[in-house]
Amino acid sequence: MKNRKLLFALFALVAMLVLAACGGDDEAATTEAPAASTEAPPASTEAPPATTEAPAAPTTDVTVGLVFDIGGRGDQSFNDSAYAGLERAGTELGVKFTEASPNDDGSNRAELLQLAADSNPMVIAVGFLFEGDAAKTAAANAGSNFGVVDSAMLDFTKDPPAPYGDNVSGLVFAEHQGSFLVGAAAALKSTTGSIGFIGGVKGVGGLIEKFEAGYIAGAKAVNPDIKVVSEYITEAPDFDGFNAPDRAKDIALAMYEGGADIVYHAAGGSGAGLFEAAKTHSEASGTKVWGIGVDSDQYNTVDPAVKDYVLTSMLKRVDVAVFEIIKAKVDGTIAAGPTTYDLSVDGVGYATSGGFVDDIAPQLEEFKAKIISGEIEVPTDPAAA
Amino acid sequence: MRRFAELPAWARWALYAALGVLLLTIVQGFDDTNRLTAASSSQAMLRWGMPILLAGLGGLFAERAGIVNIGLEGMMILGTWFGAWGALNYGAWAGLLLGIAGGALGGLIHAIATISFGVDHVISGVAVNILAPGATRFLSSEIFTGYDGGSITQSPRVPGVGHITVPVLASGPDLLGDVMRADVFFFSDVAGLTRGLATQLSLVTLIALLLVPFTAWLLWRTRFGLRLRVCGERPEAGESQGINVYRYKYVAVVISGGFAGLAGAFIVSPELSGIYLEGQTTGRGFIGLAALILGNWRPSGILIGALLFGYPFGVGLRDLDGAASHSLLLVNAIALVGVAVWAHRRGQRTSTILAVVLSGLAAMWYLVAEEVPDWWTDILPYVIVLVVLVFFTQRLRPPAAAGRPYRKGEA
Repeated sequence: MKNRKLLFALFALVAMLVLAACGGDDEAATTEAPAASTEAPPASTEAPPATTEAPAAPTTDVTVGLVFDIGGRGDQSFNDSAYAGLERAGTELGVKFTEASPNDDGSNRAELLQLAADSNPMVIAVGFLFEGDAAKTAAANAGSNFGVVDSAMLDFTKDPPAPYGDNVSGLVFAEHQGSFLVGAAAALKSTTGSIGFIGGVKGVGGLIEKFEAGYIAGAKAVNPDIKVVSEYITEAPDFDGFNAPDRAKDIALAMYEGGADIVYHAAGGSGAGLFEAAKTHSEASGTKVWGIGVDSDQYNTVDPAVKDYVLTSMLKRVDVAVFEIIKAKVDGTIAAGPTTYDLSVDGVGYATSGGFVDDIAPQLEEFKAKIISGEIEVPTDPAAA
Repeated sequence: MRRFAELPAWARWALYAALGVLLLTIVQGFDDTNRLTAASSSQAMLRWGMPILLAGLGGLFAERAGIVNIGLEGMMILGTWFGAWGALNYGAWAGLLLGIAGGALGGLIHAIATISFGVDHVISGVAVNILAPGATRFLSSEIFTGYDGGSITQSPRVPGVGHITVPVLASGPDLLGDVMRADVFFFSDVAGLTRGLATQLSLVTLIALLLVPFTAWLLWRTRFGLRLRVCGERPEAGESQGINVYRYKYVAVVISGGFAGLAGAFIVSPELSGIYLEGQTTGRGFIGLAALILGNWRPSGILIGALLFGYPFGVGLRDLDGAASHSLLLVNAIALVGVAVWAHRRGQRTSTILAVVLSGLAAMWYLVAEEVPDWWTDILPYVIVLVVLVFFTQRLRPPAAAGRPYRKGEA
């Protein structure tokens, strides 16, 4: 009798673990993956890209309906950055826009997209989780253009992969190029000849590996003998790695204790643990070590107590992408399929807040120019870096 | 052998621990690493073990009073949010108290559902686990978004309470440090591990560790504890003796939630995260339940279970070159040999064979592979829990009435 009860308790426990695992993945996939796939900077911190046109009395009848990712406005990253791009389109191009946020589990994404398509010729969905719903809604609404942030919007079941439809565009970023620049910055600034990389989740379609590859390549371009220690917090399908500042902190501490003095993270929310570790180790050892942020200009978003440990950040400009796709719609040049926002359009870049990389800015700008001209080709696979 | 059994419990445990350290010392030599017995490893073990320990103790209170608490995870989540909110507004110590209060609130919901309304314990627990993240998301959107550095999913940096370093042993004369640096086989390893425990020990960790003997005293040495345990074994018997069973069950489940809440507050404290972030508990409430079962519903057993989880997790996390994880494989193989011997002497043939096979597999993997993949260190703590449960289930003794519905006057 007792044994049977125990078995039941064990069964319940196992069942709960399984449920928890599923639930966890689900949640991570919906709320955190975009963060990892990287957040974007508050638009105010950077000079507007060179593509900006003189604001001549804007008139257009294009209207935009934007659907946020889970979390909605006020997340200080991805969604806020998208909104900044929308606002800029409003002032510079004169487009009118409406916005909507999905519910807690994102189950009403398709309905919100349809709602936006009903009254707008341009619909923007923030986050790759919209991929499936956007493809379907676009097929039923041929009169509207759809832009999805962070998804190529290619149907890979076709050979060769083709866009889901003539009215579907994907907004993707050359994260490896931005990572190259912060890798170069790390190598230039390192005094120990050893630097680190912390990835959030391994094996999400090579997404985070792109950051690692660019980072290593950039560091080696400066110093071929540099030692780069890489570590991933979890492996897919365990998405806890984007949510675990405590684990990132321990990994970073181990890297600093092992001699690395600059560590770059591409781990979404876990990154807070990296800067915490930089502060802890700097204070305990008396030698200053650094962290490098990702997606947004983290010097401006982390707590004031740790911001002096943020050397620079790899920026992913969702605001630029959103603005550019709206502009293409207004100009009538919008194209189906993926558009990559790379260094040449300032779709990615590095942050200068704090002034810690001012002394090496000339070298970084030189690398940037070489990448844009094609002289340096940045790998996307760590094995090739 | 008889002489060994006559030793006091602390001496036996000290011998077991020494034996374990000796094993680690020998094994790590083959991989040319000293990470298994480094001071940072014992510190990591404590850090990662504490939330499990506190959740396990929480589960202990509830189950000893007859209520299965599968909602520990949700109560822990409430603890993280309220812990962060309290620490940000009223200081680190208030954060711990408010974390406890937040978890206790979750416990109260579970208590009302299961005790007053007779809801199935598992269903009510699942409900708490679903309710908690929704509630904290709402609270974050109402409160943390207004903070500098806060957002709908995270809080600003959370302050922590102080640390102590044991004088003479680890600072000042630093006796343990001297032994550690002398590099004498085994003794330096013991000194290193002990020094890790005595250096920069967080006051929260200290409190969590002291809660183990306190819980044992409260539940097994006081009238309150006896009555509480009666509610989990034979509530009808307690009722016939005039015990207000409902009241004891309520108190127990609220305390249970409080413990889980403290575990949550520990997770947001700088000891681990230093920030509130949605989803950061990553299932540790459930691991606390596993530690409870692994520890045979006893405080000291739960402590061992929590450390058994924290050690491989902490070591694996800090093991950048993979050498320590590789060594741990051989430790597993040797430990399984021990299990096989133990099972054989009890005449359990199936267990013996299973242990020998598993040990052989681990040893083979150790010999064949130069390094182990990252995912192995990620899952190792869970594998240990499973192995222990498989082999020692027959010796476990849960409270007789745990999970059983109780209605006053139906005896």
